[in-house]
Amino acid sequence: MHLIQRMKIWKELRRLEQRAKEQPSPSTFVDLGQVYINLDLHDKAESMAEDGLALFPKSIELRQLLDCARRGLRNRRVQDLRARLTRSPNPKVYRELATILVDLGDNGALQALCQEWSLRFPDDAGCWLVLGQARLTSFYRDLAAREGHEAVECLRRAVTMDPADQQARRLLGEVLYRVGAVQEAQQHIEALRQLDPADQEVEALLSHVARLPDRGTDVDALFDDVETHGSLLHPSLHAAAPAPTADRTLGSVREGLGHVAQLDGVEKATFIRGSKALVKGAIRDGRDPFLRIVRVTAKAAHRFSRRLDIGSASKTVVEGEFGRICICVYGEALAAAQCRPGTDTESVLAELQEIVAGALHGAEEQA
Amino acid sequence: MSKIQDAITELRHAPGVRGAAVVTSDGLVAAASLSTGLDPDVIAGLASYLMMTTNRSLSEGHYPACTRLLLNATHGKAVFVSLDDSYLIVLFDQFAEVAQADREVDETVARIRRASRLA
Repeated sequence: MHLIQRMKIWKELRRLEQRAKEQPSPSTFVDLGQVYINLDLHDKAESMAEDGLALFPKSIELRQLLDCARRGLRNRRVQDLRARLTRSPNPKVYRELATILVDLGDNGALQALCQEWSLRFPDDAGCWLVLGQARLTSFYRDLAAREGHEAVECLRRAVTMDPADQQARRLLGEVLYRVGAVQEAQQHIEALRQLDPADQEVEALLSHVARLPDRGTDVDALFDDVETHGSLLHPSLHAAAPAPTADRTLGSVREGLGHVAQLDGVEKATFIRGSKALVKGAIRDGRDPFLRIVRVTAKAAHRFSRRLDIGSASKTVVEGEFGRICICVYGEALAAAQCRPGTDTESVLAELQEIVAGALHGAEEQA
Repeated sequence: MSKIQDAITELRHAPGVRGAAVVTSDGLVAAASLSTGLDPDVIAGLASYLMMTTNRSLSEGHYPACTRLLLNATHGKAVFVSLDDSYLIVLFDQFAEVAQADREVDETVARIRRASRLA
């Protein structure tokens, strides 16, 4: 880079650093992080994104910056590890490099690396485990039979080469029972229990699998069924467990909405999360225009405040001849009410805030 | 036009107000008095987007148009008041009590309406 260009960049960098200190906002952190990335200082960009996220934990731009910085760091680490492998190849370095390639989602490079790994160290089961993990991730994402079949092949090979490999057995057992090959899965989970008798999770998994109906041993046909139906046959252990927090949260939201609907002047109220909405009051059905107005206005207000660098829009009141529409948003949760003219919007907004905060707290507990 | 600008400049001195502007519904700045760091064109564009989007969704649902919109964000607040073919936007800092500035905002709206009629 030309010296004058370099000096200009450093000058700009100092200006942005000063700005980030004096007026911290997601965009100042992102601008600074971008300059660091352009200068190939990914570690600085990462710490800048982390500092920004400590102040603005919900900023999508800062998360993207962190992701980009970490990707840059991983790419650099890949280059270092490749150089080390050229000098002195060993299974440990192969494993580290393969794990980074899995994180980067570079399946082509991973395939080539695992081939090289298995040729140089034919007795090491590690390459088959990593390859199996990568295939399994693709299978769970796309439910493509071919990916599932290849994942099982790789994991079976890893288990045959190293029967004491707990991770390979666990992954194999799990994918098998989820597609319906319960009997074969039970054998792997039983072996897992013998390897570590104190593991409570394996115990729970075994009793969960014991309750599921077996659909035979033709794994290829089972994978084809999954692809055709677009869903796995059996739920995972965590998905099958009851979710008391979710029920409690829903109950408290319903109760809160009922309370809002009873306030003087309130005509209708709703709680929206994702594509689902709970409603109270004079709402006909899911196509009631009030629901759309609330969604559209909340989104536009959010965009307005983000672009203007004033954070996230948490409360919005739309006034017109119809009265007032009060909207309260935190994260993904939104609560809103339509009131007649002259209604005390402060108390309505306070109630809506309680509903949204309660739902958010419930979601965090679940997480 | 100077009367509108005077009204805006006066409103700018109300407690907690970071800036005020009158923008047309298609996003052009008619008058503005903003603190440093606030770009009138950006504010006009964003305000027009917010009001147009809200009004479109209201009209699609057969609701009358929005006459006033109050927005409360983490680091600031904003009030939008619909004038005939334009909007008054008042930006506040996050600590401002918007209700306390209601009187000043209403007075400014009345002055702008008067000035527009005379013009």
